[in-house]
Amino acid sequence: MRLTLFVHPITDLRLGGETRIEGTALTVGEEELRGALLQDSRLESVAFEVVRAGEHARIGGVFDVIEPRAKQPGDGYDFPGAISPMALAGRGTTHVLRGMTVAVLGEPSGSVIEMSGPWAEWCPFSALHHLVVIPNPRPELPRHMALNARKQAGLRAAAYLARASLGLPPADTEMYESDGPSQPRVEGVPRVAYIAQVHSRQFVAEVDEQILYGHNTTGMVPVVLHPNEWLDGAVLAPNAGLNVLTYHYQNHPILTELYRWQNEGKVALVGTIATMAGGDNFDRDLNCTLAAELTKWALDADAAILTKTGGGAPHADMGYTAKLLEDMGVKTAVMVGPPNLSPERTVESSTLFNYPEVDAIVFNSGGAYFELPAAKVERVVAPSPEAAEALFNLEKLAASRVTGVTSQQGAQRLRALVY
Amino acid sequence: MRVVHYLNQFFAGIGGEEAAGAPPEVRDGAQGPGRLLQQLLGPEAQVTRTLVCGDNYAAENLEQLTAWALDRVREAEADLFVAGPCFEAGRYGVATGALCAAVQQQLGIPAVTGMAEENPGVDLYRKDLYIIDSGTNVTAMREAVSRMASLALRLLAGEEVGPPSEAGYHPRGLIRDAFVEETAAQRLVRMVYAKATGAKYESELRGAVFPKVPAPPPVIDLSRAKVAIVTDGGVVPKGNPDRIQGNAAQNWGAYSIAGIDDLRAEDYEITHGGYDKRYVEEDPDRMVPVDVMRELERQGVVGKVHDQFISTSGLANPIANSRRLGREIAKKLKEDGVDAVILVSA
Repeated sequence: MRLTLFVHPITDLRLGGETRIEGTALTVGEEELRGALLQDSRLESVAFEVVRAGEHARIGGVFDVIEPRAKQPGDGYDFPGAISPMALAGRGTTHVLRGMTVAVLGEPSGSVIEMSGPWAEWCPFSALHHLVVIPNPRPELPRHMALNARKQAGLRAAAYLARASLGLPPADTEMYESDGPSQPRVEGVPRVAYIAQVHSRQFVAEVDEQILYGHNTTGMVPVVLHPNEWLDGAVLAPNAGLNVLTYHYQNHPILTELYRWQNEGKVALVGTIATMAGGDNFDRDLNCTLAAELTKWALDADAAILTKTGGGAPHADMGYTAKLLEDMGVKTAVMVGPPNLSPERTVESSTLFNYPEVDAIVFNSGGAYFELPAAKVERVVAPSPEAAEALFNLEKLAASRVTGVTSQQGAQRLRALVY
Repeated sequence: MRVVHYLNQFFAGIGGEEAAGAPPEVRDGAQGPGRLLQQLLGPEAQVTRTLVCGDNYAAENLEQLTAWALDRVREAEADLFVAGPCFEAGRYGVATGALCAAVQQQLGIPAVTGMAEENPGVDLYRKDLYIIDSGTNVTAMREAVSRMASLALRLLAGEEVGPPSEAGYHPRGLIRDAFVEETAAQRLVRMVYAKATGAKYESELRGAVFPKVPAPPPVIDLSRAKVAIVTDGGVVPKGNPDRIQGNAAQNWGAYSIAGIDDLRAEDYEITHGGYDKRYVEEDPDRMVPVDVMRELERQGVVGKVHDQFISTSGLANPIANSRRLGREIAKKLKEDGVDAVILVSA
């Protein structure tokens, strides 16, 4: 399966009368976009703000970050199953507006994008332009419905913006192609799979929580996905965030790195497994066993990278899945942390599994105990004026509060070092 | 700058195993490997005393030896205490670990030792001390002492010691955060490739090794047993009277269920923040199953349900802290004459 990205760089972003791309400048037709989003009757109103790279600004209360992308008509649907009919994601051409995001705001307690100051060097979104979308769901809605309305507003805005690039020649193209498990085995080239938890059943998925092709994952057992499905809108960040962003599914750090190694002829990316952290012991055993079994027997992998979503139980499940894989002869590397909330800050309190064969561990900082000074800002964009006020004069910000600095998807550069 | 050095009978030149019972003695100046230490520490430092003791004597009289050594170091007005290196010698390593830890803690001066990874002293004292990795080979004495000396000089100067791989000490298991150029994704792919192709790789974390907890003997007759419910799910009476924290709780509470057959939602709240609380908020018996236990009590399956349940929050609770909470709870339940416990975890 092959996915081609038509990349349209965006170096200037503004609100205006009509949505259009001139060169690398995107003008967002504010009223048209508002009209499109308010077709969702669950929304009372929606506000937009533009925040440009280099501004002394802070975006607070971030709910999700999405890269504007639109499918070439005939090649599939935008975020299939979530805001479009169900269809296979990951093949054909997708148009990408690179250099900007749709930043969707939610609760004031959400994470913060620092556009300047010490965090700007480490926040993956500081150097990008942002169309900030602040959807206001009707107050009488149940919480889960409000969250879904918010999520969908962001996705719709992202697809809407990228549609402005349909028909424009791309500045650049990127190709992602894997024949999956059917590719022939090559001596010395390990067949690598990626196993990711897309949800943790520590928290029961909402009935309308859209995680995998719009499905909330209830009742789901692990499934095989082509790497391109992740990159092309099949998988979305869960409502609770949990250090997962839709932007980092679309630009998955681990999958794009595996593709890079594949292009250099060093590994064969044979596929991925989407799994869940269990809600109880049976669920745990079922998911871990099936994820390991699919990796070995459906993907015929020699090696696998495993990551988690959520906290302690997902960490333990990831470790157990890796142990089952090692038992079957599949070599593993796993990623531990965040969140690592334990204030004791010792190794003893950081590992939740003890399998000698699971001995290739990437160890990330939990982020809660690492602070840098907050930037002096001229402007705060937040879900409400009160929230903006509260975020204006911050002294310090912990890593766990800054969007994308702590990441379950491999974007993280804040390591936990053992001294 | 005054330095006191500790050696066992072998390195002090008294003899091998046959002299392991040698009692502690004080010698003036540097002895054996201490001469090398003196040379590597530079002219600023003076090894003014060497304490010597046989390994068997040390193992059998560790407390007395420690008290004696503390007095000798104090008398010497030492700025630094160095012991060993001990390589694989187990009794020697355990003794130097204990002495260094005591000196550091009670006299407030830096203490440095050196051992091989396999030395039991490493696991006993790595958390408290900088233990240089001496390797197992005694002929590498110069390298080991040289690392010990440079680490000691850094500690004396109050400088950053740096990561274990650079400074050459056994990781102490303490976590420090730092930015690195490579993303976690890049490190993962590099590591899995190395592992899959049989190349060398270095895990960023080694799995913790936990001691096995033996299963307690079974309850002989449940129908005559007093059974208590203990949970780490953070169910507490409304208002959280004991202020049990949701994250890394420092305490636990005992709450009366005397005369109660069924916990009512309006009487309880959940302090734990790591699970979906809605179901327990709806019915606290889902975490603290008083309703079912009362039924078993009526049927005579259990003798008596203890009239208090115990609750704390298990979220992100450090192991040392959890152990303390567990001991405190066990002690209380023993005093209350409880025979068996049902542990309900979140």
